[in-house]
Order: sequence, then C-alpha cells, then structure tokens
Amino acid sequence: MSETPDRMDFVSRRGLMKGGVAGAAILPASARAQTASSSEDADGTVPLQRMNVTLDVNGQARQLTIDTRSTLLDVLRHDLDLTGSKKGCDHGQCGACTVHIDGERRLSCLTLAAQAEGHEIVTIEGLGSENALHPMQQAFVDNDAFQCGYCTPGQIMSAVACIREGHAGSDAEIREYMSGNLCRCAAYPNIVAAVKQAKSGMEG
Amino acid sequence: MAQNYDPAPEAKSNMGQPIPRYEAVQKVTGAKIYADDLPVPGRAAYGWMVTSAIAKGRITSIDYTAAKSVPGVQLILTHENRPSLADIKTFAGGGLGITDVQPLSGPEVHHDGQPVALIVADTFEAAREASFKLAISYAESSPTATFGDEGTVEKNLSEVNPRYEPIRFNDADAAITNSAHSIDVEYYTPTQHHNAIELFSTTAYWDGPRLVLHEPSQYVWGLRNASASMMEVDAENVRVKSPFVGGAFGSKAALTHRTALAAMAAKQLGRPVKLVAMRDQGFTHSGHRQETRQRVRLGCDANGKLTGYDHRQWEFTARTTPYSNGGLEKTVAMYDFKAARTDNYVVQGDRNVPTFMRSPAEVPTVYALEAAMNELAAKAGIDPVEFRKMNDTRVNPVNGVPYTSRSLNECLDAAAERFGWTGRNPEARSMRDGDWLIGWGCSIAMYPTQMMPSTARLTVRRNGTAFIEVAAHDVGTGCYTIAAQAAGERLGIDPRRIDVRMGDSRLPPGPISGGSISTASVTSAIAKACDLVDERLGVAKDASAEERSAALSGMAMPELEVVGSWVPAGMDESAIESLYKGGVRISGGAGEERTMFAFGAEMVEVRVNERTREVRVPRIVGAFAAGRIMNPRTAHSQYLGGLIWGIGSALHEATEIDHKRARYVNDNIAEYLIPVNADIEQVDIIMVPEVDEEVNILGVKGIGELANVGTPAAITDAIWHATGIRIRDLPVRIEKLL
Repeated sequence: MSETPDRMDFVSRRGLMKGGVAGAAILPASARAQTASSSEDADGTVPLQRMNVTLDVNGQARQLTIDTRSTLLDVLRHDLDLTGSKKGCDHGQCGACTVHIDGERRLSCLTLAAQAEGHEIVTIEGLGSENALHPMQQAFVDNDAFQCGYCTPGQIMSAVACIREGHAGSDAEIREYMSGNLCRCAAYPNIVAAVKQAKSGMEG
Repeated sequence: MAQNYDPAPEAKSNMGQPIPRYEAVQKVTGAKIYADDLPVPGRAAYGWMVTSAIAKGRITSIDYTAAKSVPGVQLILTHENRPSLADIKTFAGGGLGITDVQPLSGPEVHHDGQPVALIVADTFEAAREASFKLAISYAESSPTATFGDEGTVEKNLSEVNPRYEPIRFNDADAAITNSAHSIDVEYYTPTQHHNAIELFSTTAYWDGPRLVLHEPSQYVWGLRNASASMMEVDAENVRVKSPFVGGAFGSKAALTHRTALAAMAAKQLGRPVKLVAMRDQGFTHSGHRQETRQRVRLGCDANGKLTGYDHRQWEFTARTTPYSNGGLEKTVAMYDFKAARTDNYVVQGDRNVPTFMRSPAEVPTVYALEAAMNELAAKAGIDPVEFRKMNDTRVNPVNGVPYTSRSLNECLDAAAERFGWTGRNPEARSMRDGDWLIGWGCSIAMYPTQMMPSTARLTVRRNGTAFIEVAAHDVGTGCYTIAAQAAGERLGIDPRRIDVRMGDSRLPPGPISGGSISTASVTSAIAKACDLVDERLGVAKDASAEERSAALSGMAMPELEVVGSWVPAGMDESAIESLYKGGVRISGGAGEERTMFAFGAEMVEVRVNERTREVRVPRIVGAFAAGRIMNPRTAHSQYLGGLIWGIGSALHEATEIDHKRARYVNDNIAEYLIPVNADIEQVDIIMVPEVDEEVNILGVKGIGELANVGTPAAITDAIWHATGIRIRDLPVRIEKLL
C-alpha cells in the first residue's frame, strides 16, 4: 500500500507494540486520557485507563469513552453496535475485521481505537445499503462469492481497496492481493470472479 | 480461471434453479445474522476463559488476589466455587457433550488448554487483563502427546464401542498372498482443526427461570436439551438462537464447556455474559480431526481385477473419552473386492477429545484406500482411471446389498474428458515445463447418503406467499434457499415469495447439520408438509404446480398452517420422539437395507519445482453425481469449497504437537496453514445428472462432505507422477520432497 503524508501519524497496534512505550507519544493531541476513579491497588496494579474519543465512522461523529487498550474492532462491535466487522483471530491473520481508514484497507483488530480518532473510518455498514448495494456487494451476490458469509465483510472491504490500489489487473494479481483475507469455506475463485465484475462497475 | 468459469451453472436434468442465496444481501451488508451479533437485553459483561498451562496433572492452588483487584472484574469461577452441574454424556453415549470431563469439575487437568477458570468483567479488556493475573499453581506429570510417545494405550475399537464389528469377508490374507500384484503400505494423516472463521462464542442471559443462549450451533435442539440437562433446568425453559453459522465443519455440533460457563456467570451476575473462545483456545475447545495411521494391503490379478483388501486403522484419541470415527465398513463397499478384512484401533493419550470434522471417517480412510489403488495400478501397469472402472461394483461386496444408484463410472468419464486424461504417459517424471515437473493424479470421492428425522411447519397463504419454519441450520450450505425451493417447486410459488426461518430451538425440530444430512432430511419433511396442504385443500397428489397454485389462491381462509414430519426408511415414528428430545439418530450409507452413497471423480495436475520443491496445483477437475441437485449455484460452491479443502488437506493443513508437553504449537490461523486465494488456480466442477428414487422423497444425496474426500490421494499420486517420489505422510510439504 502506498504511503500518503496525511496518514503518517497513523500507527497500528502492531507498530505500537513494536515501538513499546514510545507508542504512547503518537496518540492524537485531542485524546484526553483519564484515570478511572478506582485507585491504585496495594500490589501496584495499574488502574483502568479510560479516555474520551470522537470517531468518524461511516460519516458520523461518534463520541464515546473507551478503554485505552480497546481495539477499533472491539469498539465497533461492543460500543457502536456495528457488528458487520468480524473477529476471526484478533491477531491480524484472517482479515475478517478489515475496514477502510482514510480510504485504505486496515485491520481493525490491530488498530487501537484511540489511534483512529481524526481519521475517516468506513465499515461494511457504510459501504452500501440493502437497497443500494455497492457494486462489489452486488458482485459478491451475483458470483456466490461466500458460503457462510463470516469473512465476507472483510473480503468486500479488501476487494474495494484492491481495485482502488490498482491491484486487480489480472486473475493472478487479484488472487495475490486478496490473500490477506482467509475464507475457510474456500469461495476463492468466486471472489476473484466478483472482483472482476465489480471492477468494471466501479471504473465504468 | 477457465474462460467458461460460471459460479452459478445452469440446471441440467434433475436439478433445481441456480437462484441466489436467500440471505445473500444480508451477508454482503454486514447484517446481524450471527449469534454473537444478536442484541441482548441490557449491558453485557465479558468473559474470558483461562485454560490450563499443562497437559497432565492437577491444580494445587489458585491465588485470586491480583485478578480480583483488576477494576471491572465481577466474577471468577473455578472448580473451587462453581455451582453444581449435572454430568452429561458424549455422542458415543447418546448425548451431545464434547468430552466426559465436565466444566470446572475438579483440580485434575486432562489435556493442554482445558478451561480451568472463567473471569467475567465489565469490559473485554479487564477480563483479559485479569486472566493474566490469576495465579494458578500446578503439579505437573509427564503427558503422552501422540503416536509413538511413552504412555499410549492401544485398544481394539470393539473394547470402547460395543457396536463395532471388524469385517471378515472371505480369506483376505490368502487372496492378497496369491495375487499377481500386491502392495502393503502404511499411510499417516495428521491432526487437523476446523478453524471456521467465526470463533466459538456463547452469549447467555436469564429471564427469570428462562435461559437464552446465542451460540452458533449445528444442532439447536440438541444444544437446548443438552445444556438444559447440564444446567438442571427444564428444556422448555432454554432457547438457543443461531440464525446463521459462520462456518462449522463439525466443530459447532457438540456441547462444549463454554455454554455452561457463560450461563452460570449470567445467572450469578443477573446480566448477559458474552464469552468467546479465542482462536488459540479454539484448538482445544471443540475437538479436531484426530491423526491416524492406516495400513493397507491390496491385491489384484494379472488382468487388474481386485482380489483381497486388508485395511487397518489406528486413530489417536483422548484418554478421558475414546472418540473414534471408524469408517472401514464404507471403504470396503467401494469396489468389487473378492475378500476383505478390516480392523480399527484407538490409541489414547493426554489430549483433548477429537470430534467430527468435514467427512470425518472418509478423509483419512478413503485417502488410504485411493492412494493404495493408485500405487497398485502403477505396479500392475494399468491406467488408474481404467483400474477403477474395471473394479466397479453395483453392490456392497461384503453383504451383497445393492446401491440405490452409483454413477462413479459416469463421473470418471466426465472428469477424464474435461481434464484431457486420455493419453497420460504412465511413467513418472515424464512431463516437465522448464524447472517445473508436471504430474497428473486421480481419485474417487464418495460420501454416504445419510438422513435424520425432521419436521417442518409450512404456512401457505391465499396471497401466493408461504412461510417455512424448521430448526435446521445454515452453516454456509444454502439451507434456507433450498428449503424455499423445495416448497416452491411443489406448490408453484416463486421461492423468493417464501419466507424461511431456521436456527432457533423454538421452531419445530430439524436434523443436526452434520453428516451432509440437512438437505435430504429437511426437503423430505417439507414434502410431507406439502402432502398435508394437498389433503386439506383436496388437491390430487399428482396435481401440477399450476393446479395447486390455483387451489391456494382459492382458499376459504387467508392462510393454512401444517406441520410435516418425516422419518428415513428403516426408522419408526419413535425417531420423531427422539428428535424432540434433541437426539441424534442417523441412517444411510453402508449397512442399511440399501447401500446409499454419492460419488465423484477428481483429477488434478500438480507442478513441482525441481529446484525449490514448491508444489502448485494449477488445475483440478471434479465430477460429482449426488441424486437431485436442489440448486446448482449453492451446490457448485459446496463442491468448490470441498475441492479446495482437499488441496489444503494434501498440501497445507496439519496441527503440530510438542511431544514433550502435549501442546499444539501452531494454534493460530497464520501458522495452521489453510489455502489462501493465491494457492488456488483453475477449479472445474461438473455436476453429472443422476436420478435416485430410493434414498428419500426428492432423491437428494448430501454433498457438503463429498468433494474433499479422495483429493489428497489424487494429489499425492500426481506428485509421484511428477517426481517419482511417493509421499505417504500428509501433508506433502517441501521438506518431504527434498
């Protein structure tokens, strides 16, 4: 994926863990960390950290108080009731939690919610609606590009980005750039067919 | 991808229409259709299971101090404080439990990853933090991990399953010894895990005496009754909701520990509790495909006619619960053997209990049979496709019982034609393209046609719509869609005007979604319900869809509701009673009054890089015949998924175990390798029309577990054909080809 200047401050949970405590410095300036009312325990237990954030999700500003450790995926599912993004591994291995952040595909399970503040988040619920499907959603229906459907929101979000990135030039390229999204039902050839169909819809 | 690739093939004879899935729009828009997405009353608390750090031994003490001090922690359950639970039986005992060890039943640890505590907190993060702070001390013993390790116990399967009988059909030993050509080989199949993308979740809440469970399930009535029994509450007071399942493959049929853990916590806290076994915990939570050893002796005469077949299987299982799949009574029915002998053993160690995984008995046993067929064909100098055709049978050779239908040869011909098999040079290392060695291999696929009793409530309306309710399950198979089609075809109603509700234990009971049972069983119950509509409306049974449609629009009442029930041949009406109790009674396959199987033929090309030993599968062709196909679109997807599972089974999938600690090493979905999009190139599926008037009302055979059977034998033979190397130990990875 290409680097763009306006998302240079965006660091994933994986990057944060690699960076250790220094990662705390990249929290957006607007983040207001608060210490929960419970006091520190005698044995030195670190008190629960909570903070207020405003997340831009599917074009809406959503204000909430979150645990500083919360992933974007858990905040979407637990706090914002947006359960379309799925948890299949919580380790960035399966791709079921893929969302768009500033138009690029991101693993919401490896993204701290706090770090997503100030960025534009789009989930499967914001891509299209039942009566106005995105061309990719329609292509997945037309090509039976799923069976159980659990990986599907992540596949679709990845597929839209795959085309935007210019990585849908051939079957082989689509297969390669869709390989971060596992499908245990193994609808892979149908997913490739769907990406090809949607490509003409999105570009035409 | 082939130029003519069509995910929704047109219907051939004896096939329904390839309409899109009933729930397709919901699945592409992220609708709340899975158990973990369903709304709950009030603010849920979050659970985290703590699992054992050892595989064998006992807990000596638990220090709760630090865990309890984590802000937001509400409850910690261990064997020291958990409420009483009743013991329940496992499948082998007629129950639904995954294991004979009950949740948090005591300090003993029987396997790595056994749940030893449940922590519930206001947030997921706090529960997880506390899990790291619960200090558990153990007294550890040395565990037995797998075959060949110290401490294994081997038993004949008859010692743990009184119904098991080894097969002795004529003198197999003499037949093999006197054969012109024979082989005596051993195969190994690895531990595998289902790894559906949806994790094992349970959300539990109580409404007075009533317990509601949101849990992805392959058997909601079974789960209702088993969890009620374990919790010692009236089954009428338990409701299981699982509208759609995010992949199961056998892993979501049993009652696991998490259901009672979530339910007990929800009761104590008076609020909903969400509990999810994380991906690594899932490896020890709900079973796996057990590793097996297979020894096959097989002979044929100078003309290639099979003589004797001797197949012995060893399955690795748990010390606590000797789960077994068996399956040799099915392989022995595949060809025209003149003599056969089978023996099945279980080998026990300190492991979690295996369970059924997509084609449980068939994947290892048919791999061994078909790999042996390929080896013997090569030894006898006969083309492997011809070898199978000349040994075709119309009856189960052991008992002489005829097949209801068997289109294996038609499948072999169709696959061979599409693949271009004719003219295959039988010599190994005879084809190459630069650095790539090319090989072709084949196998048959088979799966027993199995059925369970089912009911279905059908409401027909004067306005030309209808409504089907049955507690069947859609694990990605298209069950809602084919239910609407079954009723629509008969009633003359467009299936898109038929609403379907499934996956809720409040609905009339349907079959377990396992054993490729659902379509055959549910469509039969729907056909019975349609019979009742005919009776009530005075329509002749052989009336056309148009006549029936006219009778519906002329009904005196706005709607008419009936409940159909169906039992498979060979079962009496008591099977319906059993169904209402959440029982599992299955018929079909071998050993019935008719021999019932679906068949397929698979041909595959592999390329093995001579320098790196990388193996690629550029194309695979599968031809399948399975009675009536309700929907060629959903059927195509099931076959597609099956073939790719077969590729994964041959080349990728294996759970590695630490022999010293009896612990799974690659317990995540990056190191447990499954095929990804880039692994799969051309997949070509042929649906061979077949009519079967005996298996059930619509003549449907199950297909969900057909296509992944046999594939590894086709791939290992293609690898031999490319390289001259016979690998008998799955999966075939680079290091085995050096």
